[in-house]
Amino acid sequence: MSDFLLTQIINYGAPILGAIVFIGAMGAPFPGTLIVIAVGAFARQGLLAWHTTGLIALACVVAGDGLSYAMGRYARDAVLRRFQNSERWIKAEFTFNRWGGMAVFWTRFLITGIAVPVNLIAGTSRFGYRRFLLYDLFGETIWIFGYGSLGYLFGSQWEMISDLIGNISGLTLGLLLLAAGLWLGIKRWKAMEAKKTEIPESQTRGLPSRNTK
Amino acid sequence: MTPARQRALILGMILIGFAIAAVFGLRALHAFRQFRGHPPPPIAASNMERVETDVELIRGWMTVPYVSRMYNVPPGLLFDALGISPIGNGEKSLEQLNEEYYPQADDFVIASVKAAILEYQARDTPVATPVPHNPPIRPIGPIPP
Repeated sequence: MSDFLLTQIINYGAPILGAIVFIGAMGAPFPGTLIVIAVGAFARQGLLAWHTTGLIALACVVAGDGLSYAMGRYARDAVLRRFQNSERWIKAEFTFNRWGGMAVFWTRFLITGIAVPVNLIAGTSRFGYRRFLLYDLFGETIWIFGYGSLGYLFGSQWEMISDLIGNISGLTLGLLLLAAGLWLGIKRWKAMEAKKTEIPESQTRGLPSRNTK
Repeated sequence: MTPARQRALILGMILIGFAIAAVFGLRALHAFRQFRGHPPPPIAASNMERVETDVELIRGWMTVPYVSRMYNVPPGLLFDALGISPIGNGEKSLEQLNEEYYPQADDFVIASVKAAILEYQARDTPVATPVPHNPPIRPIGPIPP
């Protein structure tokens, strides 16, 4: 897949890059980061103008993110029907509204594998579009221009840096999943311990004291 | 959610998270070691300095015009070396050209392009550039039109 896309970029330039990042932002499994780094290297070779290419890619990826956010927004009714305004859903919505900005920001360039689900959740949980756009724009600017600059800096050695970044992204996702699992585990264990200590107390309540003579 | 399901979900998250972190961590370490040995090349001041010389960087997804630009070699020379017309083939990748014109010889197109570039660079520059002793032999057989 990536080979085919790279050939198309060297043939057709920025418009095809824009199309790739736009479709990728809506969930197509394209190797976006690899492509952005490669495009940086192409800019260094003089094949593409870095500023116009970067701006086109940024506009397209933000538009794609906006569309997947809108998909989440339109799916809200179905999701609400499923959860029926349960306490858990309200809590999740509240949590996303509190931390969602950071989730949107970091998933643009560091944990890109979960960027689309985050867009959908943001839309579904009525996270304000202006706030979403702000964090999205910051994150995507780092993704396009930051990673593109790395490709530019490393030129023909871009494959190495792309490999490193891809693996760091995977590692971050794994560590996050592990941390979330451990956090939930500890929380559950504490709840169980609290329950255990509650039971004996309630059992002892009302019983006669041993020291009665 | 039942407590048993909750426990299974938490355990699954921990195990999958650990597995993903271990696999990508090892791969990242390997990539970092490779990366550390290769500092970024200096930024070229002019177009002439942008010319690449290491032919090992040629990949199957590249096209002939792209390779000719990267190595500052006339595209006609590369098409001649491949025995292929430039008309209608400029947008095809080296891999596609191989599949289309030399399906019986794997990597023939890439090897031929590398040999042609090395030969051109050796001819073009006074500094000795290694020329392969055994240039790839064009396979004998029917060539599709």
